[in-house]
Amino acid sequence: MELPLVSACFVAFALTMYVILDGFDLGVGILLLFQPAAASRDHMVDSITPTWDGNETWIIMAGVTLLAAFPVAYSVLLPAFYLPIILMLLALGFRGVSFEFRVQSKHYRRRWDLAFAVGSLVAAFMQGLILGGLMQGVTVQNQRFAGSVLDVVRPLPVISGLALAFGYAVLGGGWLKLKSSVSLQAFANRSIRVSAAVFAILFGVACIYAVKIQPGIRSKWASHGIALACLVGLFAIASGMLTMTKKTRPAVPFLLGLFLFVVGISGIAVIVFPDIVPFSVTLWEAASSSTSQTLVLVGAAVVTPIVLAYSAFAYWIFRGKTPERGWEA
Amino acid sequence: MKLDPSILARIQFAFTVSFHIIFPTMSIGLASFLAVIEALWLKTKKPVYLQIYKFWLSIFAMGFGIGVVTGIVLSFEFGLGFARFAQMAGPAIGPLIALEVLTAFFLEAGFLGIMLFGLHRVGPKLHFFATCMVAIGTLVSASWILSANSWMQTPAGVAIHDGHLTVVSWLHVLVNPSWLHRLPHMLTAAYLTASFMVAGVGAWYLLKGKHQQFARTTLGLGTAFAAVLIAGQVFIGDILYGTMLKHQPSKMQAAEGFWEKQSQSPAPYYWFIVPDQDHQRNRFELGIPYLGSIWLTHSLDGRVQGLKNTPRDLQPRMGMVFYAFRIMYGLAMVMFAVGVASLWLRFRGKLFSSRWFLWILAFMTPSGIIATLAGWYVAETGRQPWVIYGVLRTVDAVSPVPARALLSTLIAFVCVYGVFITAFLVFAVRIIRRGPGEAPPHAEASGSVKNAFRPYVLDNPERLVNGHITQRS
Repeated sequence: MELPLVSACFVAFALTMYVILDGFDLGVGILLLFQPAAASRDHMVDSITPTWDGNETWIIMAGVTLLAAFPVAYSVLLPAFYLPIILMLLALGFRGVSFEFRVQSKHYRRRWDLAFAVGSLVAAFMQGLILGGLMQGVTVQNQRFAGSVLDVVRPLPVISGLALAFGYAVLGGGWLKLKSSVSLQAFANRSIRVSAAVFAILFGVACIYAVKIQPGIRSKWASHGIALACLVGLFAIASGMLTMTKKTRPAVPFLLGLFLFVVGISGIAVIVFPDIVPFSVTLWEAASSSTSQTLVLVGAAVVTPIVLAYSAFAYWIFRGKTPERGWEA
Repeated sequence: MKLDPSILARIQFAFTVSFHIIFPTMSIGLASFLAVIEALWLKTKKPVYLQIYKFWLSIFAMGFGIGVVTGIVLSFEFGLGFARFAQMAGPAIGPLIALEVLTAFFLEAGFLGIMLFGLHRVGPKLHFFATCMVAIGTLVSASWILSANSWMQTPAGVAIHDGHLTVVSWLHVLVNPSWLHRLPHMLTAAYLTASFMVAGVGAWYLLKGKHQQFARTTLGLGTAFAAVLIAGQVFIGDILYGTMLKHQPSKMQAAEGFWEKQSQSPAPYYWFIVPDQDHQRNRFELGIPYLGSIWLTHSLDGRVQGLKNTPRDLQPRMGMVFYAFRIMYGLAMVMFAVGVASLWLRFRGKLFSSRWFLWILAFMTPSGIIATLAGWYVAETGRQPWVIYGVLRTVDAVSPVPARALLSTLIAFVCVYGVFITAFLVFAVRIIRRGPGEAPPHAEASGSVKNAFRPYVLDNPERLVNGHITQRS
């Protein structure tokens, strides 16, 4: 039976949904750091407020599907990335409560905006750190994590963390260009260009470093056409984003950003496959019994289309440009 | 001092899950309350209902936000702190939680935005639908997670071969022996929590002589719900007591404070004990004679089973379970008295004017939350030393994470959650002081149905002057 493969596809789908959807939310949050005008910050946050909760839910979906379908991977990866995961969760916490608290507080809104922005930045960085940690490989013995929780404090994870934060900023800039009013268009264009440039540089450094320390990645790039194609595609898209100006149609940078991330995730999937804990545990070794896989997959097959339908409906309700005075005005 | 990772992992989980459950308890109760209020508004068109809706929506929104972000932590903490548990129990509880995410979390999240910001855009009917979807989402979510937790209390439907667990029957995993009693117990607790919150704030306004119409409506509704619910809760609680006595006797033995295999006859009902676990006795005990026999055995001279019926190394700590149970049960009795008093005062037409009663209600505002927390402490500390009762011990479930990492993240959780709860309380108190109708931040609809039906205003470029955005009020 190929159930573990189907489950892995669902985990990958949920993770992709999370990365692209919460990616632009986190990106908008990071860009708050560079927006001095309080009214513009209100406008930026308003553009993501009605839908952020649904976007964030995809990370829980990915996490618990891992628990249900690949309990061995779940129980290896979470202790391995203990510190960055907890810091990510705390940062996501600050980001999440700031949506509500900043509205409640006129005097201290600046501080909640800071909590929002730093929370977004730290969460993005930690996610990149985890990705880098996965790429350098996880030490496993007897289906248990056997490395140190400090294994992630190394150059490759740190560079990946920075790269992902700028990658999210590209998405966030694209979202702002799509949703914000005239006043923020210049800011959005500038954000996209700068973030894309820094992202491309950091990503290039990370690739060179990864090839140096992880033979698994080197052999995949050497032998696998798709992996290499994804890598080239990624740089092509990022450099394309450097040309975004005010004349570009509003949806173009956002769609390019989504494409950038889908290509990136595909590239990673090709490198990691058939492992689920990179370079040590395969999908099949980590999988739970078929009864557990079946229940999750049947549930997912039936409910996911409905989830996607009403999530799309929620986006449609709040379609068009974000009103400058907020959604309630 | 040498730090023990298993103790630290347990403290961290206990702290984060205790903090979290406060907010879903409120959200489950308030979401259904808001659905009822919006239905009343749609039916009667009385502005006071929209006022109540908007007021409680702003508190609901803050609580829901904290519930979401502290809930995500838990779905990862199974693996962060208790990797061995995750590896073993994942095949059984993982799919339940995955289905919870699919059928509940997405539903809540998808419609929350419309509930908070969509009144103008979708009109009152569709908005009411969104409120109902969020309320249903909270109930569905509670059903799945109670099923998963009940499976840990009374595991069923699985086969275990050399530490690997395989599900044999999903029906038995899902409908395990305690779920059907624990689910209504928790839902009633959540509804009681909301009822006492709503009635308490109304009582406070009446004591201050402010917002009369708002206060009378909420107090009237809150006490009516509370009176019915607490009667039901006492009944459900009694059935659950019998279920747990049968399936997890050690928990109920610890809850009643007796050590000897058979207590004296007639048995007293202890309210205060100083347990000495090492010597398997109480150093001090204070109780009401006969009441233990009457309540626990439904006879005048029945004997109650003590904790010595459970082997020493499989006993929970008596003090924790006993006092958590006393707090929950004591509060339930006070709630019952308040419910009866409210019916009497309502019958006499003095519900809104008896100041002593209003004071009691105001003090009872957080009673549901405290009772629910205490109830969860009975459930979770009473299950110890097991994490999956009879299957896996908590000490054997811990992750290979060093104690120092656990300690530093525990401190971080305490600090961050401290900020969250402080901000929540400050803002909630401010909202309550400001009172209804004083420009609450959410759903600033003007109140008339006509306005709510107004088509949404697209971005209006004329309002922009030199790229300057008008400051939001």
